[in-house]
Amino acid sequence: MHNLAFKTIKELKALVHSGEISYQELLKFFIENAKKHEDLGSYLEIFDQDSITKNCTFSGTLAGIPGLIKDNIAQKDRKMTCASKILETFVTNYDATAIARLKKEGAALLGRANMDEFAMGSSGETSAFFKTKNPWNKACVPGGSSSGSAAAVAAGIVPWALGSDTGGSVRQPAAMCGIVGLKPTYGHVSRFGLTAYGSSLDQIGVLTRSVYDNALVFSVIAGKDSKDASSLVVDAQDYTKNLTGKIKQGLKIGVVQEAIEGQGLDPEIKKAVEQAIKEFEKLGATIVPISMRTLEYGAAAYFIISRAEAASNLARFDGVRYGIRDKERDLNEMYKNTRHDGFGAEVKARILVGNYVLSVGHAGEFYDNAKRVRRAIRREFSDAFEKVDLLVMPSHSVPAFTVGTYDNDKLAMDLQDYFTAPMNLAGVPSLSIPVGFTHDKKPIGMQIIGAHLAEELIYQTAYSYEQNTVWHTMHPQF
Amino acid sequence: MKITKEEVIKIAQISRIAIKPEEVESLTQQLQDVLSYAQVVKDVANQLLDQPSNRNINFLRDDVVTKTDSEIVLSRAPEREENYFVVPKILDNK
Repeated sequence: MHNLAFKTIKELKALVHSGEISYQELLKFFIENAKKHEDLGSYLEIFDQDSITKNCTFSGTLAGIPGLIKDNIAQKDRKMTCASKILETFVTNYDATAIARLKKEGAALLGRANMDEFAMGSSGETSAFFKTKNPWNKACVPGGSSSGSAAAVAAGIVPWALGSDTGGSVRQPAAMCGIVGLKPTYGHVSRFGLTAYGSSLDQIGVLTRSVYDNALVFSVIAGKDSKDASSLVVDAQDYTKNLTGKIKQGLKIGVVQEAIEGQGLDPEIKKAVEQAIKEFEKLGATIVPISMRTLEYGAAAYFIISRAEAASNLARFDGVRYGIRDKERDLNEMYKNTRHDGFGAEVKARILVGNYVLSVGHAGEFYDNAKRVRRAIRREFSDAFEKVDLLVMPSHSVPAFTVGTYDNDKLAMDLQDYFTAPMNLAGVPSLSIPVGFTHDKKPIGMQIIGAHLAEELIYQTAYSYEQNTVWHTMHPQF
Repeated sequence: MKITKEEVIKIAQISRIAIKPEEVESLTQQLQDVLSYAQVVKDVANQLLDQPSNRNINFLRDDVVTKTDSEIVLSRAPEREENYFVVPKILDNK
């Protein structure tokens, strides 16, 4: 039997199509392979083959192709815990729109991916159940919050996974695991069925090992949805059709100077990104330095807005309608104890920060000013896209770090979002692609950022880079 | 800026989250760190070029009554009675 673990979606489809392998053989392989890699902690549950089969039509764009779903996205009649104790027993009763679309195109939904609790974290360490390891180096974190999704794809457990990205939660773990991760334009993928964290920032994103596969899965889930009033009026389209291997004639790529010259940027990441920029130049792109003055305020504005929205969104977890409930017979005490025991430390801290910046006396100083900075960031992106077609900058400031590194410095952990949060604030799409490794074999990622709805151009450009480099062909050794 | 323990206890009260005495100190530190960092927005907001808000507008669907089986929702509650969620007593009969 083939070793299917590192086959792309395209290759798996060809194998099934030619009759070399059956859908059930494919499923069996991936379920067994997932069990073999249980020690990575990338998934909270792998469903049994019968129930996967029952939920799969095996026909359509992703017919029988197994994928893993971050556990904050609703899959009907499955558990959805957000890796939190407060939802440990919760079973959802509907499909997220993204899930419904995947099912319609025949995808085989293999299980639920581990994550940082309620998508709050940058390392996978805040999961209430267990931490996820980086398949390239098991002493290190995979990044987060889509920690399980990224680790599973990098380890060959699945060829694709869904994650969610509020401030970098798809792109940063994709970078740290050496894979491809898309944060779409805000509103491009319906958020219906995605557990809300920061509603003005949240997007469901796609993680894969190749650009083609990423574009394929994105094509299935993207487009207008009447169930999400903030979704954009964009028709479904095939984002793979422009993947020619050539870049657009006359393409101008802007290099964000404040990012590449940033103080905290790891020198090996800087070198790899500069090398990638040279590669784009070889492919025919014109490289233009771009200054983005607001970059250094992105994380600050993001901290305020995301925590404020989180505090409001997580108010619904009160022990009344779902999840766990404390036995206290006084209503207020019941709320307080339920939320104390149900939420982990990071989630509680973010709720407190959120209510602080929204409270009378502080809202003007923090929340209102953060919104102004956000608008300035938006403006700087739109100004930049008057001059260039795309922007590039690193996806992360440091390579995958050892578990526990930031236990006593939460701010340093929060600042993992430094290079990624500005795109959520501006609502623009960004794709992280692998661009190399450090001396000790840790993956490095770079973002290709476009104007609103520029996903097609981003994919086309990333694909031509991929065709001329080897990073996507390298896999962790177990 | 300085966040006090009293402020953290008050915000936790507003947030309906119990905190144990031994948790106050580290939470205070964490809030202090992130808010000190974030307050830079106050200094720069006026110096940056503003831009009108996004043109995208929410679109609304028709308001049509659909039938939902309340049992699906109620069955997920920690405590329910017939067609209701059970909550601890709110009114005092003193």
